[in-house]
Amino acid sequence: MSDQLFAAREMASSTSSFSPKSSPRGSRSPMAAPASLPRHDSTGTLKMTISAGKHPAVVNSGPFYLMKEPAAETELTGATNLMGHYGLEHSYSKFTGKKVKDSLSSFLPSLPGILDTPAHLTNSSLQSLIEKPPVFKEFVPLNHHQLAGFRLQHGPLPEQYRFQSQPEGTRRHRHQKKGDPLTPSYDPQSNNDFPLSSGVGLTAGSAGGVVGGVGVAGSGDGHEKKPHKKKKNDDERKKKKKEKKKKKQRHSPEHGGVGGGSGGEGTKVSL
Amino acid sequence: MSSSLEQLENHLETFIENVRQIGILVSDFQPQGQQVLNQKLQNMISNMQEIDKLRSPVQEVHVPLEVFEYIDGGRNPQLYTKDCMEKALAKNEQVNGRIQSYKAFKAGLLVELSHVFPNEMNRYRAVRELSDIN
Repeated sequence: MSDQLFAAREMASSTSSFSPKSSPRGSRSPMAAPASLPRHDSTGTLKMTISAGKHPAVVNSGPFYLMKEPAAETELTGATNLMGHYGLEHSYSKFTGKKVKDSLSSFLPSLPGILDTPAHLTNSSLQSLIEKPPVFKEFVPLNHHQLAGFRLQHGPLPEQYRFQSQPEGTRRHRHQKKGDPLTPSYDPQSNNDFPLSSGVGLTAGSAGGVVGGVGVAGSGDGHEKKPHKKKKNDDERKKKKKEKKKKKQRHSPEHGGVGGGSGGEGTKVSL
Repeated sequence: MSSSLEQLENHLETFIENVRQIGILVSDFQPQGQQVLNQKLQNMISNMQEIDKLRSPVQEVHVPLEVFEYIDGGRNPQLYTKDCMEKALAKNEQVNGRIQSYKAFKAGLLVELSHVFPNEMNRYRAVRELSDIN
């Protein structure tokens, strides 16, 4: 009994200040600090504030528990029209006002080839380029021996391997009517697709053969713009003039009687 | 920066045009075209050298990776910009809605607490005014 009393007195003396060291929870025990914080109270009564631990998350700053200082107000919040703040209203109206076409070819109309197919089908994706960048040191021009590897046999390629500037479904025929809805800017005399006329040193024989191939490929590019000014192909002009003459000769005996024929001829593309 | 981008664009167009010409030349190859083909191949390499030289001026241009997903899918990259702006606007409106809701809730709560605890709310307002002054 006396031992128990002695132990109780020891404990009372050691915990008279309510030290958290003696508490089973240690630093998490609340500490009593009677004179640490000023109290706005004129009644004269002794009041104590209790704070949790040595570094409390909540510092008592007034008569209300868990009362924190209000958060600092910033000028730019979600309540502001951020589009206007950053000057993007015009851009936003531009993108949302008019309909943006879904296909990549509409963004790059001047590029040849078929652009709208998914890149993973042809193993030419940009993602693969980022994941596995090509390793090279520098670009070196090909020497004579390396160029020998590019000696080709003459003759046309199979249809599947030929150069296609446009998907199959949108290819146009050579003789196109005016006002065609699919190719409003098509101009057969533009000769955008006759690259070999732009100053390449060709012999006459090869020019005829290659121009023929170009003509087949070029007739499909009615929707392309004219990024570069190119010289007109004289051979094509001559061919078209000959065809025009032939048609006139065919229709001349019927010109007086058949008004539809002349009207129809008028709607054809002027050459 | 814009001039270097334009220059890069021009070089890329020239390169693509050259490659297209090679494709047309090869589609129906004639023996007389071998010299032309060799010349065009050399031109292709010189174009690549010029494009490589233009790499450093555009080093600071950062492109979001999501744009490449659009391009690889054959979609217009302007759609990415449009989608970004629409998402930003939607998020802006959502956050604005939250802010307005919290403001309305605070006002309503203060009114109701003033009805239920008038003395405590007076003391609270006094403490807040004092902290604002400080």
